[in-house]
Amino acid sequence: MNRTLKCRMTFHSKILKLFFLSLFTVSVNGIAAEVKGLVQLNYVKADEQSSWFDKGTGILAYSEDSANVQQAFIELSDNFANGLSYVVVANYYQLGEQNLGISQAQISYKPLSRNKLRWRARVGFFYPKLSLENVDTGWLSPFTYTQSAVNSWIGEELRTAGLELTLYSPGRARNSPFSWEFHGALFKANDPLGTLISWRGFAMHDRQSLNNDRVPFAPYPSVIGRERIFHPDYVEPNHELDGSIGFYLGTHIEYYKQSTLRYYYYDNQADPLAVSNERLYAWRTKFHSLALQHKFDSNTRVLGQWLSGSSVMGNRFVYIDFDAWYVMLSHKHKAHRISLRFDKFKVREDDIFPWDPNNSDGRGYTLAWRYDLDKNWQIGAEQHINKNSADIRASLGENIQVDQQQSLAVLQYRW
Amino acid sequence: MSKFMLALSILSTAFFAQSKQISVSVLTEQNLVLGNIVVYLTPKNLTQNNMSNKIEIMDQVNTQFLPHILAIQKDTQVRFPNSDSIKHHVYSFSQAKTFELQLYKELNADPLFFSKLGSVELGCNIHDWMLGYIFVVDTPYFGKTDINGNLLLELPDGEYQLDVWHPRIQDKFSALSTQLTLPGESEITIRLGSPLLPDVNQYENISGEFSDYE
Repeated sequence: MNRTLKCRMTFHSKILKLFFLSLFTVSVNGIAAEVKGLVQLNYVKADEQSSWFDKGTGILAYSEDSANVQQAFIELSDNFANGLSYVVVANYYQLGEQNLGISQAQISYKPLSRNKLRWRARVGFFYPKLSLENVDTGWLSPFTYTQSAVNSWIGEELRTAGLELTLYSPGRARNSPFSWEFHGALFKANDPLGTLISWRGFAMHDRQSLNNDRVPFAPYPSVIGRERIFHPDYVEPNHELDGSIGFYLGTHIEYYKQSTLRYYYYDNQADPLAVSNERLYAWRTKFHSLALQHKFDSNTRVLGQWLSGSSVMGNRFVYIDFDAWYVMLSHKHKAHRISLRFDKFKVREDDIFPWDPNNSDGRGYTLAWRYDLDKNWQIGAEQHINKNSADIRASLGENIQVDQQQSLAVLQYRW
Repeated sequence: MSKFMLALSILSTAFFAQSKQISVSVLTEQNLVLGNIVVYLTPKNLTQNNMSNKIEIMDQVNTQFLPHILAIQKDTQVRFPNSDSIKHHVYSFSQAKTFELQLYKELNADPLFFSKLGSVELGCNIHDWMLGYIFVVDTPYFGKTDINGNLLLELPDGEYQLDVWHPRIQDKFSALSTQLTLPGESEITIRLGSPLLPDVNQYENISGEFSDYE
């Protein structure tokens, strides 16, 4: 216990350095890269309960009625004739501790092949493809602005700094309606994964953590007290704390482009006794994720995802089981898209410290309308309401149960 | 003016005297009509085909090749525009034309020249569900059957070999070949002997939009 890290540099930043070095080598002989970008400006009518970004206990991103830069990123990518490609996404966020940074950086190798069974690989800092919600550029959702509890958590705490190998068989290569993919990945870092849902609980937002990000939360006495768990009131999700290698396995099955199933098993294999000199712990977090989508036609689809797992830190100082799911209906009519999502989430504890309550749960409804004015401009509006509870609020003298709502008007420009 | 009209009527009479419209129907072994089948008639005494100066188009729309099957005459150029807002990486391993083409959005790649006969199967290395075909023939007399399985063609008198092609047809190529002398029979029906390969055209029906983050 209390093994401290002398080196402050996280594993993923080494990977990023290697990545940029190889990127440079590739670009010398390459052709002009493709640059995409997106900016979303919003006006938000916020809930009274302040956000974790302001050290509050709310589960929505904004604390005050205000105009904000909701998203801003540039995606740089290129494909080469030999099957190599790269993509880097650099973001600006008004919210949060780190305003500028990298959310994804990967090099992929996908050799041209006419075989029925094919393979590809990617290395870098990326998302496992477990979400069917975050399918727009920059891992955004093209459906709602406030994302599901499941993928809000993936975006804020989970990122793979490692290598993923994929075996796949496109249905069209076999004259079959079914395509399948099998993914396996090994990664370092991401040891504190699970911290946020254990203390703050699940939240709903679209703020992705950046390469060296720090995500704050309320100063819960049981967390920050010297005589208590003695953990800072923030987490830096991308640290490597114990030297162990995590893994995930995933499979995708698709019927035409109509129905999709994605199953993943994720285990960061962290040593829950490893702790850094800033007292961030490694959390042994493992979960199953099952995502489904069915398109009734090109315009209407239903999709959903279920996440179920556990996380433990210290000598069972905190142990939680978590479950979260959503189901969403999205319909496109000409340039309009309307999406309605229902979320439900629950965290239940079974650990040794009764003075650190970790039970939380809630449900939420999100209705969004987005309208493409042309290929660059989009306007949209969203209404979100939720009912949630977190036992740990009592330690700050707050009501455990809270009803929250948030309205958004958004102007988007992409190129 | 009257001289001109006279010349025109002589010319048109001469034209119609030498050419004939034929109708070709393609049916499955169960007598169902088959659309989108390439039908081509190669003259027996092919002297010199006029080289086609036309540039044909194989577009990419909503992450699909459009058209799904493009029939062209040998020595034709094909342009591959990209109407999508995302990039494509088109390739072919086919003997008739092996190539790969990086198609960035809003960038026009140079057209490719197709000088060998046969089918060219197109794929996209970014979107694995994309599949398209270019079929290269050595005759100016070709087309595709319509939704009712029919094709009308205007042909000069002479002897021809009529062939049909589609990626789902399993019959031996030669088994469906028909010899034809014009003037003569004007309504020709080709009936397949074997069932078609499974129809996976539903890949074309539902858009790949927001299917995955690439």
